[in-house]
Amino acid sequence: MIERIKLLFAEAVDVKTALLSNGEASIEIAYLSSLCKEDKINNCIMVPFTKAEIPFSRHLETNPEYEQVEDPAKWQDMLLRGYVLIQSHSIIYSFLASDVISSDGSLTQVESAIQGPQLALSEDLNKSLNLIRSMYPSPELCVEQYTVGYESRTPLYILFDQRHVDSMVLDNVRSKLTSINADIVHAAGELEKLLVGKRLHLFPTVLITERPDRISRSIGKGKVVVLIKGSMFALILPATFFEFMHAIEDNYEAFWMTRFLIFLRFASIVLTITLPALYIAVVSYNPELFRVQLAFSIAASRSAVPYPSFIEVFIMLFMIETLIEASIRLPRYIGSTATTVGGLILGQAAQQAGLVSSIMIIVTSVVAISNFVIPINSMSFAIRFLKYPLIGAAIFFGLSGIAVGVFLYIVYLCNLRSFGKPYFRLHGKLNPAEGDIGGADIK
Amino acid sequence: MNRYFFYLFLFVALMNIMIFVPHILNDNRFDGSVAAILISPIFGSIMIYMFTNALSRFPGQGLPEIFSQYFPRWFTTAYMIFYAMMYWFSSTVVAMAFAVLINRFFNPDANVLIIMSIIVLASGYAATRSTLTVMLLIEIIIILNVPIILFIIFKMVTSPQLNLDSIHVVANYVWHWPSLASLAAATFIFTGYINLSLFNRLFPPNFRFKFLWMYPILGLIILLVTFFVPIGFHGSQGTAQYIYLWTITADSLMMQYGFIERVMFLFLIVFLNLSLVYTTAAWHQAMEFLKGCMPSMKPETDSPKAPISNYVILGIFTMASILYMVMVNENMNLAITTAWLIIRMFTEVATVATVFILSRRRLMPR
Repeated sequence: MIERIKLLFAEAVDVKTALLSNGEASIEIAYLSSLCKEDKINNCIMVPFTKAEIPFSRHLETNPEYEQVEDPAKWQDMLLRGYVLIQSHSIIYSFLASDVISSDGSLTQVESAIQGPQLALSEDLNKSLNLIRSMYPSPELCVEQYTVGYESRTPLYILFDQRHVDSMVLDNVRSKLTSINADIVHAAGELEKLLVGKRLHLFPTVLITERPDRISRSIGKGKVVVLIKGSMFALILPATFFEFMHAIEDNYEAFWMTRFLIFLRFASIVLTITLPALYIAVVSYNPELFRVQLAFSIAASRSAVPYPSFIEVFIMLFMIETLIEASIRLPRYIGSTATTVGGLILGQAAQQAGLVSSIMIIVTSVVAISNFVIPINSMSFAIRFLKYPLIGAAIFFGLSGIAVGVFLYIVYLCNLRSFGKPYFRLHGKLNPAEGDIGGADIK
Repeated sequence: MNRYFFYLFLFVALMNIMIFVPHILNDNRFDGSVAAILISPIFGSIMIYMFTNALSRFPGQGLPEIFSQYFPRWFTTAYMIFYAMMYWFSSTVVAMAFAVLINRFFNPDANVLIIMSIIVLASGYAATRSTLTVMLLIEIIIILNVPIILFIIFKMVTSPQLNLDSIHVVANYVWHWPSLASLAAATFIFTGYINLSLFNRLFPPNFRFKFLWMYPILGLIILLVTFFVPIGFHGSQGTAQYIYLWTITADSLMMQYGFIERVMFLFLIVFLNLSLVYTTAAWHQAMEFLKGCMPSMKPETDSPKAPISNYVILGIFTMASILYMVMVNENMNLAITTAWLIIRMFTEVATVATVFILSRRRLMPR
């Protein structure tokens, strides 16, 4: 039986098989350790078998919890549902020892979905694996174990579906994991930096998530998932820019609304990156860009402001960034106070004092709000930085500077590769007989 | 995958506005432009058919590889250097035209040389990236900008100011034999296929070119819009007064709703993006052709790290472009562009014919 199960399942560390013998008889057992309660297996199989107070085959025959399995085709399925298979005298018995994590798991906090699975990954590797195994019950799921960090010896699991995974990506990940040179690794973000290897990067090229449903979907698409012990977050790689714009709820809700939401996210990215720079360019370089009435109202609202537009922008952006930062770092009950005070200053007082124009306040709040629309936190952080270089370009070159700056961002995005895969690429329909562009090179 | 060929065609076809094609055509509007416009789709479709047909026998190979298989080294080297020069010229002309435009309409106070420098630096950086990156970049820029272009064209075509009578007057000169310059300018629309001479490296071996019938039709539509819309706006005589014809035409339109009133700003930003992409693609190809001269060079479409030779070549290109800007004034630029368009037409015919014959020879049993 054991040989056959090893053939059925992809190589995974949690597929446990054993040949037990207590002098009189010998049995073979097989189970998935991540899906089963090991103490139940101990109490109901190991202990009775090793004590052998009554012959174990009698035990199997009498206790209705051990069910006979006639059809070997069912083995895979039963193991994936948390059964233990026992072979005694060439008869196969099954025994349910599944460990279902439901209410005792922690809830999602960073990437919440209104309707959809609410459980997040656990800091315990086995519990996380249990969640993923139960959401992705496939025998093709490979689980490999690694350790990183000379001092911390942090265990990692690599998960992938061996039918769909891209072997180039997998080799790349394996070689990078074995060559990681660090003393202590604790967090998923830290591991991401070590895996990517580049010190200066603007965009996250690895998706960090806490949602098991996102993970199981990505495994189905052929991605590699890295689980790290002691962190509720897993890494999904390779990632594309468009996945960062995709909230997991887009799969669960009505089609047109979710398309609209995705469009909304892209629109808000454009706004949050370019709006402060556009403000500078329009006020200081090209007031004729806007229609006359709008240009006048902008100029009128700026009439009390004594300094150039970019100083105004710097003041307001400094305020809003510190406000966001403070409300993240503060304990939850003080946090609301900070936002109230900050909101008061940003809302009215600064404008009435003649420090900034009222249009600038709108710009600032649009920038901040549209930044929060991005579903993945690491991308939201990356986007937060992007407006500053554009502000620089706008100060010196006006509108054309912004256009060139945006062009450079697009070049940079197109140039990024996530583990050898293009990062910023529209995937249209692909004819598998023709192959992909750039495919001629890879051999 | 055919969409990638479509992008290569489209972005060159749209760039005609920056390379003075409307101006040259309008200069010759009474002697042969209309005929040239009608002839060029035939010329273009023959070229496209021959070139794609020939290249489908050389899957995953660019021009440098194909040439070095069949010709002696000195010939390949000379040809590649000439080719690189041609590409460099076209993009420099575009970059310079755009720097002047920005200076005139966006930042009248700024120094043209500084504007030129940021344009060439940005596209120079972009051109050092890998071939795959440049291809993806073309796709993204096209997808972002083409809706706006369609919107502008829609506004123009439906505008009540478009005078159909003057279009009719000019269209009546269809029986005049086209001059060389107007023919060269009109065929420029169809020249996007020549980008395959490098980007063919990206296409997978089993790739087949499809929908080839679409390109002459699309090119003809672009050409008609390019030529006749300014005439409709400025009249059959008025068009000759402008060099940056389309910018002025875009400026004659107004958007009644929304933040931006003058269409020209939209137009300029869209074409700034397209010019940057055009310069990037042209310089990237020129760079790869130069690298193809070196015997030790192996063609790579997506190297993880840009080799130093990329930076060196592109550094020379940017410096040369800025020098060109210093030495050449706008009048000379226009003359050089016209000459370039004519030389380009003949070079292309030569290249396409050569590659076509090579591909046939390959079929024949030795």
